[in-house]
Amino acid sequence: MEVVNARSALLSNYEVLSLLQELEADHLARTRTAVRIKKEEEAAGHTSTIIPGEKHPSNVEVIHNLRTVEVEAIQHLTAPHQSTVRQSAEGITGLTRALNQYELTKAEKLQIVNLAPTRLVELFVIVDDLAARFTDEKQEEILAAVEASLGAVPISVDPDAGEDDVAMDASNPSAWDSVDGMVNAADEFDDKGEGAGVEGDLDVDDD
Amino acid sequence: MFNLAILKDTVGVHPSNFGIAPDTALIAELNKKYANRILHDVGLCMCVFDLTQVGEGKVRYGDGILYYKVVFRLVAFRPFRSEVILAKVKSSAEDVIRLSIGFFDDIYVPTIYLPHPSAFDPNERAFFWLPEAAEEEGHVELLDSDKDTRMYIDTGEIVRVRVESDEFFDDEPGPPQVTEGIQVKKEPRRSPYRIVCSMVEQGLGNTSWWENSQALEDDAAMEEG
Repeated sequence: MEVVNARSALLSNYEVLSLLQELEADHLARTRTAVRIKKEEEAAGHTSTIIPGEKHPSNVEVIHNLRTVEVEAIQHLTAPHQSTVRQSAEGITGLTRALNQYELTKAEKLQIVNLAPTRLVELFVIVDDLAARFTDEKQEEILAAVEASLGAVPISVDPDAGEDDVAMDASNPSAWDSVDGMVNAADEFDDKGEGAGVEGDLDVDDD
Repeated sequence: MFNLAILKDTVGVHPSNFGIAPDTALIAELNKKYANRILHDVGLCMCVFDLTQVGEGKVRYGDGILYYKVVFRLVAFRPFRSEVILAKVKSSAEDVIRLSIGFFDDIYVPTIYLPHPSAFDPNERAFFWLPEAAEEEGHVELLDSDKDTRMYIDTGEIVRVRVESDEFFDDEPGPPQVTEGIQVKKEPRRSPYRIVCSMVEQGLGNTSWWENSQALEDDAAMEEG
């Protein structure tokens, strides 16, 4: 192993979060595909080629250290005190454009994007020597630009909903398959339950 | 908080993975090796960002593994000095507060980097800050202060801190030490990467301290002006 460049670029929290959520969606899609293949094979009367705890030849194995860091980092970055939950790719692009007109360093811009300060005291911590470098109006302008870039505060944080969106967006065809598979599986299950109930009701009516 | 690091490595793909697209297999191999590990002077590795260059796979004598020379980009957690981050208080001891950000929890705030004047309350097992106390008061008097005026930094609270320094330790395990036939127990290893943070400035410390604090904001602006 050789380190070519330990710090070639800086990443914002939002970028890292979307990358991790993509990985998470891939992982879910893969697990679903595996479950679907197993079910299909069992339905066809074969003994399954998938041995529990072992990888399928068409799949990469589950990487446990990656899963750990992925899940913990997603938890941290989507916590209610983080601004990432209110951010969007368009909002951040708009914000960085708006910040270009002020003489801010790269590090200060990155932190404004990451922490999204909406109070003066928060901006004061991020930007060195704030009062001397910017007039009161400019400071208010920066805060307004940050506020404009943020979406509404999500009322209830539903991690599953977010992941499903990503899974649907993923260009990976297996994601589509697996989602369909899940839907079908759910339908089958529901049919059984409802069907039994309806029949029961009909029986009662007939009597 | 996060960086892109460019690394070069030789990765082997096991024959059982030949059914998978080579790039997927390589990324999986790299993630298996690097994810959630600390690399000296690089930081805590999160995951592979992308592959920049992949050489031709070669099989060497002995095993059926296909070796690739790969240049790739890795997402690493390493906040730069003076960066402001949000973290959760994990625990407090008499000399240090330990913070956690979920996937990493070797973040420390030593007493010298606490807002002044502050003291450790052994009953609550937490530090507190007395914003109204005069500078010259000692620790004994601080502990006699009225509980209502104390601002505690309790476990589980969200704090805003500034990164002051970070250190990497690469401790070799070394051979087991034996004295007179009895194996000597080794002292616990230092964590390979630790970050030291500060809460001294205006705006740092518990995030709740600075909500609805227009007066303090004005003070801060005045101080700078």
